Amino acid sequence: MVVGLLATPIMIQNGQSLVNLVAAQQALLVERLSCLLAPLHPVLRADVTRALQGEGKLLYQAPASAESSQPPPLAGMWALATFLIAHYVAPDIDPIFAGNVAIAVECFVCATDLLDDVTDGDQTTTLLALGPARALNVSTALLVLAHQAILSTPQQGIDPRLILRLLDTFEEAALAAVSGQHRDILSEQQSIRACTREECLDIAAAKAGSIMRLTFRLGGICAGADDALCQQLSESGEMLGIAHQLDNDAHDLYHLLQAHNNSALSTESVKSDLERGKKTLPIVLAARDDQTLQRFSELTDEEKKEHLQAFQEAIMTTWGICLLYRERVRERFQALEARKPVTLALRMLLGLA
Amino acid sequence: MEEQQLQDFVHRIAESEDLRKELAGNAALVVSREGFSPRLVNVVMRLVPHLAMEKPLGPSLGWWWGY
Repeated sequence: MVVGLLATPIMIQNGQSLVNLVAAQQALLVERLSCLLAPLHPVLRADVTRALQGEGKLLYQAPASAESSQPPPLAGMWALATFLIAHYVAPDIDPIFAGNVAIAVECFVCATDLLDDVTDGDQTTTLLALGPARALNVSTALLVLAHQAILSTPQQGIDPRLILRLLDTFEEAALAAVSGQHRDILSEQQSIRACTREECLDIAAAKAGSIMRLTFRLGGICAGADDALCQQLSESGEMLGIAHQLDNDAHDLYHLLQAHNNSALSTESVKSDLERGKKTLPIVLAARDDQTLQRFSELTDEEKKEHLQAFQEAIMTTWGICLLYRERVRERFQALEARKPVTLALRMLLGLA
Repeated sequence: MEEQQLQDFVHRIAESEDLRKELAGNAALVVSREGFSPRLVNVVMRLVPHLAMEKPLGPSLGWWWGY
C-alpha cells in the first residue's frame, strides 16, 4: 500500500473564484481590524501586525513568486467563516457588527496559534521574527483585542445581553481549547500504549474542534440564530475542526515518509513530534512501542523500512477518519440547505462545494 | 462505530494481497458486503485507489485551503 494524499483544489466553482467572491468581505474585515489595532502603541502594533501577516491570517499576502502545487492559503479564512455564517443566518445583518465578531475570532485564532508554536517549539516565520518572549506578549495582546472587538459592539446599538452571550461563548471555547492543549502536552509524558484512538480524537475535539466550533457558533449567535441552528452550526464546526486536525496529522506523517525517499523535504516538525512523544492519531495507530517512535531518526534503514508499513496504514486510517468527519459535516450542511440555500462562498470556503 | 469499521477494513486490506486484488477488480462488490453506512461507503470508495492500486497522488490535502 502506497500512501498518497488527495489534493482537492476547489479554486473555481461554476466559473467563480473564491478569492473574488470574498474580496469585499476581506476588505471590510481588514478595515475593522485596522480600527481595533489603531490605539496600540506603535511597537506593539507592529508586532501584532506581523503575527496577523502569518500564513492564512487576515493580513497575509502570498509571495508573488510562490511555486507550489498547492494554492496559497486564503487570507483571513477563520474570520471569513464567521462572517459568512452570520450572513447566511441573517443576510441583512449589520456588516460592521458581524465584522467585529469575525475579527474577534481572527485575533483569538492568531493568539492560540502563537501559543501553540511557542509550546511546540515550531520554527514558524512569525516566531523566528519575534522570538518567544515577544510572541507570548503579542499572544496576550491578541486575546485582549479579541474581547475588545466584541465589547466595542455596543457603540453600534447592539443589545448588551447579546454581547454577554457572545463573550460567554467565547470564554467557554477558550477554556476548552486551553484544556485540550494541556492534555496534549501531558500526553507527551504518557506511554504510547496507554493512548487510544478515542483519546486522540477527544484531544483533537478539544483543541481544533473547540476553536472551529467557536468560529461557527459566534457567526450564528451574532446573527440571531435560534438554539437549534446554533447547535447545528456548533457541531458542524467541531467536526470540521477535528477533520482539519487529522488532515494536518496525516499530512505531517506523510511528509516524513516522503522524506524517507527524498532528503530534500523538510521533516523537522514531524521529527520534533516523534522525538517529543507527541500522540497524534497516526502516530498512536502506528505505535509498536515508545522507544521506536521517540528514536525513529536513530533507527537503521532496515528497521525504518519495517515500520513504514505500519505508518502508511495509520496515515490511511487517519485520512479515512478525516474524510468521515467531513462527510458528517456535509450531511449537516445538506440539512441546513433544506432550511435555506448556503452561499457558494461559504460552501467553497469550507471545502463543501 | 464507523471509525472502528474503517480501521479494521484498512488493516485487512493492508494485510491481504488477495483482498487488495479483489478490491482493485471490483471495489463496489467488496465494499457492499462489508455492511457499511452510506457515508462510510463514500469514504472507503475514495480510499480505494490508494488501498488497492497503490496509487500515489499529490502530496497535499488542501481542503481548508483548497479554494
